[in-house]
Amino acid sequence: MINPLGIAVTVALFKFSQKLKISLLSPILIAGAAIILLLKLFHINYIEYKQSVSFLTFLLAPATISLGYPLYKNLNLLVRNKRIIYTAFVFAVVIAILSTNFIGNVCHAEHSLVVSMLPKSVTAPIAIEVSKSLHGIPELTACTVVLTGIFGAVFGHKILNLIGVKDDAAIGLAIGAASHVLGTSKCIETGKPKQVVMSTLALVVVGILTVIIAPVIVRLIY
Amino acid sequence: MQKLKFLAGFGILFFIYYVSFYLVKLTGISFPPAILGLILFTMALFTGIIKEEWVESASNFLLKNMAVLFVPFVVGLIVYKDILIKNWLSILLVIFVTTTVIIVSIGLFVEHGLKFLNKEQKND
Repeated sequence: MINPLGIAVTVALFKFSQKLKISLLSPILIAGAAIILLLKLFHINYIEYKQSVSFLTFLLAPATISLGYPLYKNLNLLVRNKRIIYTAFVFAVVIAILSTNFIGNVCHAEHSLVVSMLPKSVTAPIAIEVSKSLHGIPELTACTVVLTGIFGAVFGHKILNLIGVKDDAAIGLAIGAASHVLGTSKCIETGKPKQVVMSTLALVVVGILTVIIAPVIVRLIY
Repeated sequence: MQKLKFLAGFGILFFIYYVSFYLVKLTGISFPPAILGLILFTMALFTGIIKEEWVESASNFLLKNMAVLFVPFVVGLIVYKDILIKNWLSILLVIFVTTTVIIVSIGLFVEHGLKFLNKEQKND
């Protein structure tokens, strides 16, 4: 059953959260929390809500495919300095998965949680697919993806400035590889096109590489 | 005309999704259909099978509004509130540490790698 009310409320609350412009809290989290409150208030269970917004979830597929558009537009950048850039992409994927697994185990986090967090550095539609294929919990993955994005967006430029990284290509690549779309949106704010382009490329390519590499690493370490 | 292009763009994206979906199903490989679609879409643009102007407005619309699609997943966390409450510190720690490690290592690698390459090219 498609209930237009669920979609209307979700989109309206999201637009409202965007207007609030609280840099530390993503509109995704604010809108999500507001809807949880509404569901509690009106005694609606999650399954009902999920069914009513199934069209939004369905749009994730064309949204993921549309990432090919910025990739196509900037493909020429992948040809220049290609060895360094490709190596950086592969490093980013391997470091993300291994470090998440390591710190997760050090903290004694539950296994299903650690697996769900493995793809947290890539953009949500891709991370959700990876999580499903690794038998993780997609909702937990989506949440850690958003939190990772917020962390990268808020602290990414500060960290890079602190360690003396000044090249726009390096900044864009590092932030896009670590914190996907939310990090990229911060690069857009700086108004430096090279950062935006590298960050977009990084989020798409690292996403695709994660789909391929994550199952292999998981098979090796478990 | 603009509206027509917008709808046509959506049509193309959905079509690619269904093609990828059935490709994955028929071949039995475990690969996310949407990611296969992303690769096929990029290749189709690159080879000119799909013209850039057909999909420009639909793609930009989806990219600009993608964030709202994740809200239902955040709402879905209520189902997992026990695991979240129990592990909130590990989750935050994992995110802070690993994201910092990636940003620092990739940032330094690319910055110094590009510098090294430029020097090499100047010496040639």
